[in-house]
Amino acid sequence: MPNSTIYLLIAALLAGMAGYLGMRAVQHGHQSRWTVAWMLFSFVAQCGVLGIRGDLRGQCPLGDVGEILVFLAWSMTIFYLLIGSSYRLSLLGVFSAPVVSVMLLIAAIPGVMEASPVRAMSVEPWHEMHAALSVLSYGALGLAAIAGVMFMVLNKMLKQHEMKSGLFLKLPPLSSITASMVRLTGVGTLVLSGGVFCGLLMPRESSGSMAHLWAAVAVWISYTVLLTIWQVRGMTPSRMALSVVSLFLASLAVFAAL
Amino acid sequence: MDLLCLGLNHQTAPVDVRERFAVSADLLGEASKELTEKSGVEEVVVLSTCNRMEVYALTSEIAVAEQSIKQYLAGDLPFDESDENHFYKKVENDAARHLCRVVSGLDSMVLGETEIFGQVKQAYTQALESAATGGILNKLFQKSFSVGKKVRTQTSIQGGQTSVGSVAVDLAEKIFGHLKYSEVLVIGAGEMSYITAQRMMERGAKKIYVVNRSLENAQKLADEMGGEAVSFDDWESVLAKVDVVVSSTGATEPVVRPEHIEKVRAKRKYRPLFMIDIAMPRDIDPEVGKIEEIYVYDLDTLQLQADENRAKRHDQVRACEQIIEDEVLKLSTTKRNEHTQ
Repeated sequence: MPNSTIYLLIAALLAGMAGYLGMRAVQHGHQSRWTVAWMLFSFVAQCGVLGIRGDLRGQCPLGDVGEILVFLAWSMTIFYLLIGSSYRLSLLGVFSAPVVSVMLLIAAIPGVMEASPVRAMSVEPWHEMHAALSVLSYGALGLAAIAGVMFMVLNKMLKQHEMKSGLFLKLPPLSSITASMVRLTGVGTLVLSGGVFCGLLMPRESSGSMAHLWAAVAVWISYTVLLTIWQVRGMTPSRMALSVVSLFLASLAVFAAL
Repeated sequence: MDLLCLGLNHQTAPVDVRERFAVSADLLGEASKELTEKSGVEEVVVLSTCNRMEVYALTSEIAVAEQSIKQYLAGDLPFDESDENHFYKKVENDAARHLCRVVSGLDSMVLGETEIFGQVKQAYTQALESAATGGILNKLFQKSFSVGKKVRTQTSIQGGQTSVGSVAVDLAEKIFGHLKYSEVLVIGAGEMSYITAQRMMERGAKKIYVVNRSLENAQKLADEMGGEAVSFDDWESVLAKVDVVVSSTGATEPVVRPEHIEKVRAKRKYRPLFMIDIAMPRDIDPEVGKIEEIYVYDLDTLQLQADENRAKRHDQVRACEQIIEDEVLKLSTTKRNEHTQ
């Protein structure tokens, strides 16, 4: 078994542990205080995978579906680690850890990640930057979508007066979830702006890469419009949450289809 | 040497009796020290709160110490025999068990309340600083504090709020986080709205507006809470600013209707609004709760939650008693071993 797969499985296992132990803690009404630590260990293992794959390719490891999944999981984890402790949102880890774990497990399926990737003869920096920044932004936008799901869960409980579950007690206040959802969407959009900018500067090679670029531009416009409405006109937080989740799922679907 | 606990509390004595025997919070150390000078008394801690007055003493002779303590508490007057019935006496393990129950909040008027822990700690610290305690009481009180912590961490005896006002404030915090940026509108000048708004202020609410059909009553309530009175004709304009509405008028028709909210939604930029309806009949039209960013809770819902929390605390009592029993047993075994050696 290649080293990258071993690291991948370890990273998936650690993220899975973060999710499982976090959920158990929440069910018992305790604080999921170890989630950040498990996710940090998983992050280190993910860095190992990306490092090995980067060495093999001689460029940013975004050459196949497996690498894109690992990179996406890595960006979600890094954004979680950056905001999870800062905004008292450790429960965000309980929601995002299973998603990260599943993405890593899919990447570990034989064939999803090329066993012997072709080493790049030359590196096109704008293309590299475009790909890396776009996937990085998807990490933040994905995490914003997870915060959106958290919002919808708590909002439903509050609307229907369901105050008994351990999850209700442990979920952070609606205002904190909303703030982190909007911040993550803002950060994601900002990073995506960089990705789109680099994409516009990369050499036009094929219609496929142009389709990806225009899809990225469409996603960027959608998020920018959403944030503008939120900031200028205002919007109910539940509609914002729904938009953030739907936009992320729609843009993932568009990229998968291309 | 025997351990003695002599005291009265909210279950055994009415408030006028408790008042007579109460010791001022800043004189607990002094009282403890004075009691150690009485015959038969070696070490003392005096505990006095609004719900209880207790003396924990290490004595060479229980009967003599009991009389000395009662006489001291009676002051210059002779101890009134009619007060005898209000006092309870616990010795040795019963006294240790009682202290642990008190520290853990099991003997409190509101089961599981946490304030008593600090009060006992303060009473003990004063006695310690006045040199009224020695090895035995020091060990007992330290033990009771660790038992109190164990009970609170290993059970959910302090979980959930048990009053309507506190449940409402917890919900407000679930929506807004800290209340320091939240403004509250009180509609009607009833007692329940006063209590609920007061809880909000205690948790740091930024500002309170009071609206009542009688501006004079609104002003009176606003003055009491450090808020601002608003004329009844202007309450809809205030609705655009606030985060929490507490309503308890005597109106027979809903005071807050969906159209009132719809009018200010855009102005509020669709921010969440938490509405607490503690009026009977209800002040807030149930249709208001269907608006996306509005969370409406009525008296029944809040009361039900408070009752459930209280019931949950009662369910925990057996587990708490077991922890205390085990710890008291350990304490008495240690004491016996030390005595044997």
